[in-house]
Amino acid sequence: MKNFAFNVFVIITLIPSFWVALSSNIVHAAFSLFFTFFGVAGLYVLLGADFLGVLQVLVYISGILVLIIFGVMMTQRAQMEHISTRLPGRFAGAVLSVLVFGGFMVAVYKTAWPKLTELPEPVPTTSEIGNLLLGKYLIPFEVASVLLLAVLVGAALIVRQSVRKE
Amino acid sequence: MDLVQIARSNLEGFRYAGTEVALCVLIVALLLSGVILPFRKNRRLFLIISMLGLALAMTASLKQPGAGKGVRYFADLFLWDSFSVFFKLFFVAAAAFTILMAQMNREVEDYEFNECCLLVVSVTLGMVLLASSVDLLMIYLAFETMSLLSYLLVGIRFREARGGEAALKYVLYGAFTSGVMLFGFSLVYGLAGTTDIMEIGRILNSAHMAGQNRALFVLMVLFFLAGLLFKTASFPFHIWCPDVYEGAPTPVTAFLSVGPKAAGFAVFIRLFYTLFAREVGDQGFAAIEQVDWPAIVAVISAITMSLGNLSAIHQDNVKRLLAYSSIAHAGYLLMGIACLDKLGLEAVAFYLVVYLFMNLGAFAVVTAVNNGEGGEDIRFYRGLSARAPMACVAMAVFLFSLIGIPPFAGFVGKVFLFSAVILKKYYWLAIVAAINTVISLYYYVRLIKAMFIDQAEVSFEPRVSGVSYAVIGALALPTLVLGVYWQPLAAFIESIF
Repeated sequence: MKNFAFNVFVIITLIPSFWVALSSNIVHAAFSLFFTFFGVAGLYVLLGADFLGVLQVLVYISGILVLIIFGVMMTQRAQMEHISTRLPGRFAGAVLSVLVFGGFMVAVYKTAWPKLTELPEPVPTTSEIGNLLLGKYLIPFEVASVLLLAVLVGAALIVRQSVRKE
Repeated sequence: MDLVQIARSNLEGFRYAGTEVALCVLIVALLLSGVILPFRKNRRLFLIISMLGLALAMTASLKQPGAGKGVRYFADLFLWDSFSVFFKLFFVAAAAFTILMAQMNREVEDYEFNECCLLVVSVTLGMVLLASSVDLLMIYLAFETMSLLSYLLVGIRFREARGGEAALKYVLYGAFTSGVMLFGFSLVYGLAGTTDIMEIGRILNSAHMAGQNRALFVLMVLFFLAGLLFKTASFPFHIWCPDVYEGAPTPVTAFLSVGPKAAGFAVFIRLFYTLFAREVGDQGFAAIEQVDWPAIVAVISAITMSLGNLSAIHQDNVKRLLAYSSIAHAGYLLMGIACLDKLGLEAVAFYLVVYLFMNLGAFAVVTAVNNGEGGEDIRFYRGLSARAPMACVAMAVFLFSLIGIPPFAGFVGKVFLFSAVILKKYYWLAIVAAINTVISLYYYVRLIKAMFIDQAEVSFEPRVSGVSYAVIGALALPTLVLGVYWQPLAAFIESIF
C-alpha cells in the first residue's frame, strides 16, 4: 500500500516538472508546478514528516505558487508573452544533465547508506520541532529573524528608489 | 543534551559571542536612528554610529582563546577558536573600511546611506557567524544571510540598467550554486546522520568508510565546490564577477571583493579540512582516499588565475579590470588550499590580510576618482598624477603590491604562497603562477603608465576629500609596513592553525 502511494506521488511530482521546464507558456508552467509541489508534500508525509508536508502545502502551494500566478496575471501581456525555452548550448546542457543523472544513480545505488533496521511508528513531529526551535536551534531561529529584518529593509530600499524616480 | 543543558549552553554562549551581539545591536541602532531621528540625510551621524558599533565588535572579538581546540557554544553549533577570531576581526575591519568608503562616495545617495550601512553590517554578521559555525545547518543559514544581503547591496542601483543586470546575474548564479551546495550537504548528512561537521569529519575519515562508493564522494566534493567557488569567484563559477563588480556601487564592489570572498575561503578551509581531510602529524593533513580533491583544487586554481589574468589584459574599465584581477587572486589563494598543510593555510590567511588592504585601497582610489565628473574608464586616469598626485602615488603602491613587487606587502604574501606550493612539490603550479604574475604585470602597469606618463585626455578636477585621503592613507600604510615588517602578523597567523 505504501509502495503504491509512493509511486503515485513520484509520478505526480515528476511528470509535471517536465512541463515546468519545457513549456513555453508561463501559466502552464506555473500550474504544473502546483502538482509538483503537491507530490513533494505527499512524499514528506510518507516519510513521517507530517509537519513538513503541511508546511509545504501552506507555504509553497498557497503562498509562493499563488504569488507566482498572481504575478503572471497582473503583468500585462501575460497571454502573449511566450518565454523561450530554447537555450544556446542545449546539447552541452543535455550531456551535462545525463552525466549528473548517471552520477546520481551510481552514487545512490552503490552506496551503503546507514539504514534503520525497521521503520519506527510515525509520531506527530510538531511538538518535537517546537522544542528544537526553542531549544537547540534557538540561535539559528533568531539569526533567521535578523536576516528577514535586513531583507525587509533592503527590499524597501529598492522599492523606494523606484518611487523616487517617478 | 536535555533542555536544561541546552538552555544553559545558549545563555553561556553569549560570553563568546561578543562580536555577533555587538553587530546585532548596531543593526538595531542603525534602524532606529534612521526611523526616529530627524536627520535621515545626515551621513556623518550614521557613520559615527557604525564606527562606534564596529569598534565595539572589534574589541569584543579581540579576546583570544588559549591553547587547545577552542570552546563549543550555543548548543554546540558554534566554535570559538583562533581561526574564527581571526576571521571575525578580518570581516569587521572590511566592513569598517567599506562604510568609510561609502560615506565619501557619491554613488550612494544621502537618503540611502543609512540602509546601506545597515546592509553592510548585516552581511558582516552573516560572515562572522559563518566563520564560527561548525554545524551544517548553521553554516548554510549564515552562508545565505551573507549571500541574500549582498544581492541586495548590489541591487541598490536596481533601476539603472547596469545595476539591475548585475543584481539579477548575482541572484541567479548565487541561488543556483548555493542550491547545489545544499544538495551536497544533504548527501553528507545522509551518509553520516549528523550535522555536526567535526563528527561528520570523524565518520568520513574513519576506516569504516574506506570501502565506500567513490562516486558519492566525488559528487559531494563537486557539489560543495560549486557553492564555494561561486563565493570566491573562481572558475567555473566566475562569470558573474566582472558584471556584478561593474554594476554595483564602488564601495559595495570593494566589499564584495574582500568580505564575502574571504568568507568563502574561510568556510572552504573549515569544511574541506574538517570533512574531507584529517590531521596527520604536526603540520600536515591527509585527504580522504576516495577522492583526490587537492588535485582538483590545484587544477581549478591554475585555470582560475590564468583566465582572470588573460581576460584582464584588454579591459579599459578600471572596475572590470580589478574584477578580473580579483578572479586571478582567487586562483593564487586556492593554491594555498591545495597544499594540504598548515604552511599553505597560513599563506592563505596572510595573503587575505594583505589583499584586504591593497584591494580595498585600489577601490578607495577608484571611488575617489569616480566622484565629481570622473568615471571608471581608463580615460579618466590618463595624466591624473598632475592633478591628484597623492592619490596616484597611493594607487601605484596598491597596484605594485597586487602584482607582488618588493618592498610591498603583496610580495611577502606571494612569497609565502609560492614557498608553500614549492615545498609541497607542486612545481607545475608554481610555474603557472609565476607566468601569471608576469602577465598581470602588463595590465597593472598599463594603468600606472596611464596615470603618470600619458597626457590627460579628459580634463576634470578630481575632488578627493580629506576623509578619502585619510582612508586611502590608512590602507596604504599597512601595504607598505607589511612589506618590510611582516613578522608580527606572520607569528599571529601561525598561532591560529
